[in-house]
Amino acid sequence: MSTRTITIEVLRYRPEQDQEPFFQSYTVPCDEDWVVLDALNYIKDELDRTLSYRWSCHMFVCGSCGIVVDGEPKLGCKAFVKDYGDKIRVEPLGNFPIERDLVVVIDDFIEKLESVNPYLIPKEEKSIDDGEYLQTPAQLKAFKQYSMCINCLLCYSACPQYGLDPSFVGPAALALAHRYNMDSRDVGRKAREDVVASHEGIWECSFVGACSQVCPKDVDPAGAIQQTKITSAIDYVTSFLPGGNR
Amino acid sequence: MSRKPYVRQMSKTSWFLTHSRYKHYILHEVTCIFIAIYAVILIFGLFRLGQGPEAWQGWLDGLRSPLGVIFQILAFGFAMIHTWSWFKVVPQAMRIQRGESFVPGNLIIGAHYGVLAIISLFVLILAGVA
Ligand code: SF4
Repeated sequence: MSTRTITIEVLRYRPEQDQEPFFQSYTVPCDEDWVVLDALNYIKDELDRTLSYRWSCHMFVCGSCGIVVDGEPKLGCKAFVKDYGDKIRVEPLGNFPIERDLVVVIDDFIEKLESVNPYLIPKEEKSIDDGEYLQTPAQLKAFKQYSMCINCLLCYSACPQYGLDPSFVGPAALALAHRYNMDSRDVGRKAREDVVASHEGIWECSFVGACSQVCPKDVDPAGAIQQTKITSAIDYVTSFLPGGNR
Repeated sequence: MSRKPYVRQMSKTSWFLTHSRYKHYILHEVTCIFIAIYAVILIFGLFRLGQGPEAWQGWLDGLRSPLGVIFQILAFGFAMIHTWSWFKVVPQAMRIQRGESFVPGNLIIGAHYGVLAIISLFVLILAGVA
């Protein structure tokens, strides 16, 4: 297998000694089928043990290795070095504070994710003895795409709205709220509404669409948010009609 | 050990220059300014019409002046960009499920162009152009 020598420029930040991040270059002999994560692993194993980054599965499932490669949010395990030149610039995800090197602080996202009640809220709880909540393939299809999210946060990194106003609930959390709202077994839309249909929720989104373009799982959070806007607007209008709650 | 997370600030005034997809977004947003100005001109035309034949003629002459023509060509171009960039993303907001599949996005976009063509033709016929 042929190898190519690639310069990997990594944005480094060591909180105990650095005032601000800086780029450090490493020369890495990359196999042609390597992904950027392999190059980072090479650096860690062979060149510099102090480099910090997150990863786990190496197969687009765990969502831990989100980084910015040549300005584009990517999963490190899905960015093939053959698609890049002889110099690759690797940075931590944008719009999140840097904890150390490529590791970012994602507490804000976790709080937002929790705030949208991202779990099934059934009409009535059944005991396990009563069996499953049944669903047709068509009902599954209605939300399946939005359930593919792996919380990799590439979408938050790409979203200028979140960068400009961090109070924005953001793409993945809103897409997941939509995933449950679209589930035929769920009746939790009202419970999610306070967060989802607020100013910091769907209405903060100006449909730049960057989230959907970078999503490695084709979740299309931008689509989910626009669909939620439509439902929410219809709710608002119908609330004024006879029998509405206004 | 104490933590010291580093926050990188995003420039509030030049963030959209940092990536081509943001530039496209801004282009799309800017085009609506021309559409808004054109709408104001049309409403002003109605107002002039109410003021009598001379005022109306003055408004028409203004539109036919070189500056008026240049503006209208520009506004038309921008309106086309605006239309294209909005229609392109309609399938994301408008998912139509039929059984276990979704109506293809291109069909939804095509239908939008179809309706646009029909309405445009209707307006042109009404204006006595077509
Ligand atoms: S929506 Fe896509 S980009 Fe965003 S966290 Fe989920 S998988 Fe990642």
